Amino acid sequence: MRIQFTCNGKRVQLDAEPDARVIDLLREELGLTGTKEGCGRGECGACTILLDGKPVNACLLLAGKIIDREIQTIEGVAGADGGLHPIQEAFLDTGAVQCGFCTPGMILSTKALLEENARPEIAEIEEALSGNLCRCTGYGKIVDGVQEASRRMSAGDTGTNGEVAA
Amino acid sequence: MSTIGKQVRKVDGVELVTGRAKFAGDYRFPGMVYGSVKRAGVPAGRVSEIDIEKAQQIHGVLRVLTAKDIPGPNLIGVLPPFDQPLLAADEVRYAGESVALVIAETAEVARRAVEAISLTIEPIEPILTMDGALAPDARKIHENGNITLSKKLIKGDVEAAFREAEVIVEGTYETSFQDHGYLEPETVCAVPGRRFTLYASCQSPFHIRGHVAANLGVPASSVKVVQACTGGSFGGKDDVATEIGSLACIAAQQLNRPVMIAHERKESILGSNLRHAARIEIKTGAMKDGTLVARSVRILLDGGAYASESPFVTMKTLIHAAGPYVIENVEVQSTSVFTNKTYCGAFRGFGVPQVTFASESQIDELAKKLKMDRLEIRRLNGLKAGVANATGQIYEQSVGLLETIERIAERGAAQGTTAPGSGQTTEPRPESPEPADRGRYLYGTGYASVAQGISNGAEGVDVTGASVQMSQDGSVLVGIGLTELGQGSRTVWAQIASEVLGVALETVSVRLVDTDAVHDSGPTVASRSTTVGGMAVYKAATEVKQSLLSMAGLMFETEPENIELRDGFAILKMDDSARIPIPTVATAAYWTGFPLMNLAFSKAPDANFDDATHQGDIYIAYNYGTHRMDVRVDRMTGEVTVLSHQAAHDVGRVINPLGLEGQVDGASLMGFGLAHMEKIRYADGIIQNPNFADYALPSIKDRIPTETIAVEDPNPTGPFGAKGAGEPPVAASAAVFANAIADAVGVRFTKLPITREDIVEALKGGNRG
Repeated sequence: MRIQFTCNGKRVQLDAEPDARVIDLLREELGLTGTKEGCGRGECGACTILLDGKPVNACLLLAGKIIDREIQTIEGVAGADGGLHPIQEAFLDTGAVQCGFCTPGMILSTKALLEENARPEIAEIEEALSGNLCRCTGYGKIVDGVQEASRRMSAGDTGTNGEVAA
Repeated sequence: MSTIGKQVRKVDGVELVTGRAKFAGDYRFPGMVYGSVKRAGVPAGRVSEIDIEKAQQIHGVLRVLTAKDIPGPNLIGVLPPFDQPLLAADEVRYAGESVALVIAETAEVARRAVEAISLTIEPIEPILTMDGALAPDARKIHENGNITLSKKLIKGDVEAAFREAEVIVEGTYETSFQDHGYLEPETVCAVPGRRFTLYASCQSPFHIRGHVAANLGVPASSVKVVQACTGGSFGGKDDVATEIGSLACIAAQQLNRPVMIAHERKESILGSNLRHAARIEIKTGAMKDGTLVARSVRILLDGGAYASESPFVTMKTLIHAAGPYVIENVEVQSTSVFTNKTYCGAFRGFGVPQVTFASESQIDELAKKLKMDRLEIRRLNGLKAGVANATGQIYEQSVGLLETIERIAERGAAQGTTAPGSGQTTEPRPESPEPADRGRYLYGTGYASVAQGISNGAEGVDVTGASVQMSQDGSVLVGIGLTELGQGSRTVWAQIASEVLGVALETVSVRLVDTDAVHDSGPTVASRSTTVGGMAVYKAATEVKQSLLSMAGLMFETEPENIELRDGFAILKMDDSARIPIPTVATAAYWTGFPLMNLAFSKAPDANFDDATHQGDIYIAYNYGTHRMDVRVDRMTGEVTVLSHQAAHDVGRVINPLGLEGQVDGASLMGFGLAHMEKIRYADGIIQNPNFADYALPSIKDRIPTETIAVEDPNPTGPFGAKGAGEPPVAASAAVFANAIADAVGVRFTKLPITREDIVEALKGGNRG
C-alpha cells in the first residue's frame, strides 16, 4: 500500500506493507541508517525515533501507524548546513558518547524530554532515558550531557544550526 | 604540554552524534544478499542429517552451505591448533553452534529458511559442569580431553608458610557467565572481487584476515578487512567476527555477490563468547600484625565448548590471584575446562574480575578476624616500587597502589564513614537522606584494591606498528592497526601526535583500520592501546618531528636542537618571537627531501618467565587501583542503593581526563552488573535468557555514582608516562560491591552475582535482622 508521512521535515511517499517495521523503511527504503537496531524487541532503545515529537522504538512500530504523521530521526537533528544541535554539542563536550551505537536513540529521547521539560530533575532524566541502554558509558556522562544541553538550550543557545531551541 | 592531560572531545564524535557514522550493518552494495545460520539447538550430539530441502524451496533462498562447502580447514581459534569449526561437520559441542548457513535475498527470508532446516542430531549426554568435565571417566569433549590448559604459579614455600601463619582464612568463591552486551550485535559484510573486502564490526582485523584467508583457501594478501564503526566490543567481537566474517566471505565467493551477516540479539548471546564462570578455592595466611605470609589458590574456569582465549585467561588469573600485595609464599593452580556450553573468551578484565573478587573478599575476612582496619591491611601489604610481586617481577617506578589507598582514605574521611569492618551499621549515617526509615536500611562501606597487567605479557609477543604522516599543509594522519571500539583510543593517539608535532588537535586525523593500509598491530586487548599503541604513535611522530626540526634548522640557520615545535610553529628556543608556521616548514621539508611519513614500531620487552612456576617478568606495567563504595540495603526487598563510589587508579599519566573518566565509569558499571545483576541462566545446556528483557543489563536507573580519582605515577614504558585503564575498574568495582554488601548485611556472599533475592534470602536466614 501507498503510505505518506513526514520525515525530518520532508513529505515522503512510499509503497509498504502495513505490517512492515518502520526501522526497515527508514534504513532500507530511505537510506537513513542512523537509526540503529540493537535488539528488535523494544528492549534497548537504540532504534528510538520521534513520532509526532514522542520517542518510540522504530523496531516495534509498523508502517500503518505512521500515515500522515511526523517522524524525526537522528539525521534530522542537526541543521541542514551540518551544524550541530545543542544536545549533540553537549553530548560531545561531556563525553556522553563512546561507541556511539546507542547515541542516536539517546539524543532523540533527550530531545523529546527537553522539548517537554526544559529543566528536568535528575530523576526525570533517568525516567526519560530508562528505555535506552548503553553498555559503554555507565550513564553518568549521559546525564551530564542532558543537563548541559538543558542549560545551554535554556540560556538560548541554539547550537550551531540556527534552530530555535525549546 | 598543550594537548596531553587536557579534556578534549572524541576526535571521531561528530559522525556518531549525527548518525553519519557507518557501522557494518549500514553498508549497502548492489546485489547484496543476507546470511543467517542454523544453530544446533542441543548442547551435544552428532549431526547425522541436515535436511535443507524445504529451506531451499523458499522463494528468495539462494544457497544453503554446510561444512562440506568450506574450501579451507573449517577452523578458527586463537591459539593453534585451532579447534572451532565455522560450521559443525560432525559433532556439535554447544547449543548455539552453527551448523548451516542460509543465503537469501533478504535477511527476513534467510531467517525463515533457517527455521525450515531440519536437523537430525543423535544426542550425546552433555557435560554441563566443570566437575562433570573433570571426572576421571568423563567423555572427552575434544580429542585431548576436557582440560584446555592447567598452569601453576609457585613462589616460596607455601606449605611451610601456612604452618607458621597465625591466622588463616579459607573460602570458595564462584562467579557467573557474563554477556558482553554491546549494543551493536555482531555484523559483517563481505564483498567479492579479485580480492575480498570484509567490512566488520570487530576488534582485531588482522586476526580475522588470517582466518578468513585460510578458510577461503587464498593468501592473506587477497583479503582486505576494514573495521567498520564498531558498537562496543569489550573483548567480544573477535572469535565471532572471525566466524561470521569467514562465512560471509565464503558465501560471497560462491555466489559472487556481497553478503551481509548480522546477528540478532539472541544470537549475540547464544553464539558468541561469554565471560568465564569461575570457581576459586582460596586460602590466605597472615601474622597477627596483619602481614600476609601465604596464599594458595585453585582456580577452575568454565570455558565452554571451544578453547578461544581460555589458555590466556587461565594465565591471567594465575598471575593475578595474589592481588596487588607482597606475599612471599604463593601457590596458584589455574585450570580451564571444556563443557558443552557457549564458549568463553575475552571479556574486559580477562579473568582478573573473578580472582579479584575472591582475593579481596579474603582480605576483608582477614581484617575482620584480626580486627584490623580494612585499608590498613591493604596498606601494610600493598606492593611498592622495588619490591617483587607474585611473579617475582620488580618495577622501579609506577607502582602507585599505596597512593590510590591514601587517596581513597582521604576521600572516605571526607565522606564520613563508619568504623571500618563494623558490618553492623543499622544506624543511618549523618548523610542518610531518610532518617525517618530508621531500621529499615542496612548501611555498609566496602574497599577493594586491584592490580591489572598492561600489555600482552605472558600471552605473547607485543608489537604495534603505527604510521604518522604530515601533509604539506601541516595536517597529520595517523594509521595504526589497533581499533577504536568506543574507548577513545583514536583521541588518545591523535593527542599524542598533536603534542609531539606541536600542531592543533583538530588538524590530526586517525584513519580507520584497513588491513591494506596499516601495519598489523596485534589484537586490541589487554589495555594496551594507549600504552603500546600510543608508544608507536609517539615514535613515528617523533621521526616526522626530526624531519621538521632538520628543515627548520636549515631555515633558521641553526642546529635542530635549538628549535621546538609548538602551537603550530617551529620556534627558536632562545627567541620565542622567531617562528615559522609548521605548514611552511612541512612544505619546505617535502621539497627538500626530508621524509614526512614514518612507520614506527613499539615492542614491549618479551615476557621472560619460567613456565613451571611463572616466576619472571611478565607485563610492561600494571595499573593499580583502590575503590571505595557506600551502599544502603533495604532489608525488606534486598534493594541496594549505591550511595557513593570512588575509584582511584594509577594510570601513569592522564592523556584525556574525559576519556579516562568514561572508561572508569563504564567499566565500573560493568563490574557492578557482574556483581549484582547479570547472570546467564542455563537449563540442560540451553541459555534461557538470551535477550535484554531477561538478561539484566544495567539501565540508567541502575547507574552508580562513580567518581574517578586519577593517580599519576609515570610509567617509563608508556607515552608521556601513560598506562592503560580500560579494564582494571571492572574487577575492583565487582569486588568492592561484594565487600560493601558484606559490611552492610553482615554476611559474606561467596557467589557473584549477589542479587536482591540472594540478599533477602540471607537476611531471612537469621544472619541478620
